[in-house]
Amino acid sequence: MTTATETTTAAGPLDGIRLSFGGVLNSEWIKLHSLRSTMWCLGLVILLSVGFSALVAGVLHLQNPGAIPATNAASLLVQSSTIGVNFTQLVAAVLGVLVISGEYSTGMIRSTFTAVPGRLGAYFGKLIVLAVVVFVVSIVSLGISSLVATGILNARGVNVDLTRSDVLLPLLGGAGYLALVAILAFAFGAIIRSSAGGIAAILGTLLVLPVALQVVAGLTNATWVSNVASFLPSASGGQLYAFVQPNAPAPASGVVALDATTGGLVLAAWVIVGVVIGAVLIKRRDV
Amino acid sequence: MIEIEGLTKRYGPKLAVDDVTFTVRPGIVTGFLGPNGAGKSTTMRMIVGLDKPTAGHALVDGKPYAKHPAPLHEVGALLEAKAVHTGRTAFNHLRALAATHGIPKSRVHDVIAMTGLESVANKRVGGFSLGMGERLGIAAALLGDPHTLILDEPVNGLDPEGVRWVREFCRYLASEGRTVFISSHLMSEMSQTADHLIVLGRGRVLADAPISDVIAGATRRVVRVRTPQVQALTAALAGPDITVTSFDDGALEVSGVDAARIGDIAAASGLPLHELTPVDASLEEAYLELTQDEVEYHSEVTR
Ligand SMILES: Nc1ncnc2c1ncn2[C@@H]1O[C@H](COP(=O)(O)OP(=O)(O)OP(=O)(O)O)[C@@H](O)[C@H]1O
Ligand SMILES: [Mg+2]
Repeated sequence: MTTATETTTAAGPLDGIRLSFGGVLNSEWIKLHSLRSTMWCLGLVILLSVGFSALVAGVLHLQNPGAIPATNAASLLVQSSTIGVNFTQLVAAVLGVLVISGEYSTGMIRSTFTAVPGRLGAYFGKLIVLAVVVFVVSIVSLGISSLVATGILNARGVNVDLTRSDVLLPLLGGAGYLALVAILAFAFGAIIRSSAGGIAAILGTLLVLPVALQVVAGLTNATWVSNVASFLPSASGGQLYAFVQPNAPAPASGVVALDATTGGLVLAAWVIVGVVIGAVLIKRRDV
Repeated sequence: MIEIEGLTKRYGPKLAVDDVTFTVRPGIVTGFLGPNGAGKSTTMRMIVGLDKPTAGHALVDGKPYAKHPAPLHEVGALLEAKAVHTGRTAFNHLRALAATHGIPKSRVHDVIAMTGLESVANKRVGGFSLGMGERLGIAAALLGDPHTLILDEPVNGLDPEGVRWVREFCRYLASEGRTVFISSHLMSEMSQTADHLIVLGRGRVLADAPISDVIAGATRRVVRVRTPQVQALTAALAGPDITVTSFDDGALEVSGVDAARIGDIAAASGLPLHELTPVDASLEEAYLELTQDEVEYHSEVTR
């Protein structure tokens, strides 16, 4: 048994290594794509998006398709291309929660925060990788969906044009919406730290809350309730991928109507609040 | 080097770690012992910043762990609870951790080879046995070639070959000048691995000394004596603080006086001695003595 003499370890091959944000992004990318559940979710996004587009474009009721004016044809194209977002948002939400809650339920978060002890680097690294991946996969799936819908509608005699800006912008907005929903879900997962709890909370916010408010608005006939409902994430964010009618009638007085810009900003506000709360809790709590 | 000062952790009403101060030095293996719930794991989690201390601080090589530019190169930690996503393969788990620090893939292969995980590296961790999971945890701890190793019960679930490997590897790492800090409740394990011991009981430091001192410090040091004249020797030895216990087989156990003195007394009284053997307390006994009042969960011995 020797007592400690101040020996220094010989220089090793790893002496130059550094923790860096680039490294964290790379790590989170490896983590994301090395899980089967991610691949299932992303595959499902493409499948649901394209499947529903083909279905809707195929069965839409068309009267005298050749005579449909260009604006209405564009509206039909946007509707059938983005119809799948109603479903793929749920998949994006589940993926967003799982990306972080899965680490808590398995204990992986301890390894993650040991490697990245500042924690926020790992939190934002995860968030960025998730958002970019969901956005890219959504762009691809909405791109395929719109091509499929264009093909089917054209075959049915409707004269549609995919390159119009009022068609392309909602498609882009749909991908942005899905990425924002994934981030909001991620924040829920970080706050709640349980897969079941996080998924229930985000699906409740996206699905149950709008219906509940609708019921209340219907029963009370109160304008303010429906106004509140239009500020929910799904309603406000829905404006991002809605077709904009060129001469839509002005809303009745007292009724709030969000457009793509204001709706997008409202959803962004939800996301920012969620992400900030998540960041504060992640930094403060014991793991 | 790990320096811990006034470290305290409170979970609600529970004081898990209570004003603990000690230093873990490089170049030796330091064992961290204590009964269940003593606060060993909590202390180790606070060193790497997973739990925030209620008071006090822990420094690794002079800085808080999180302030090092390459934390994994500074400390390799194997913590008690599992810390791996069950859906990922061992290789991808290690590769993801390595990526944060730009550790090359070759190092990932190296630690997989060192821990004997080659055959299961591409299997998902969910199906791992306890021992394989433990090896993966050790592989992750070694990934950054750290100056300091913190291993919470590293031999948990390992087979005898694995236990020996961990023991020899820890000694080797310490001989390279690294700081090695291992927790265990297994005294026998510690007596073969550690040079220095820190004993914790109910969140407080009970002992912080070289392993030989811990053994020597045990009050139960006795001398076994045999003589044909039991009565006479017992009478000759009688004195304050000296106890003589006689056994059925004719042996006596004398405490409170050392072997040399017993021999002198016997010689002066003309009493023959057939045996005169100092009996050291084992580390096990020393440890039990230290912690007997500090055990949180006493097991009832039914007779
Ligand atoms: N996250 C926590 N929340 C509440 N109490 C905790 C938490 N972690 C530990 N404790 C309590 O703190 C005390 C110390 O626990 P710790 O796990 O550090 O002990 P230990 O020495 O590692 O025990 P063991 O030998 O069983 O591993 C225990 O009473 C435990 O119940
Ligand atoms: Mg423990």
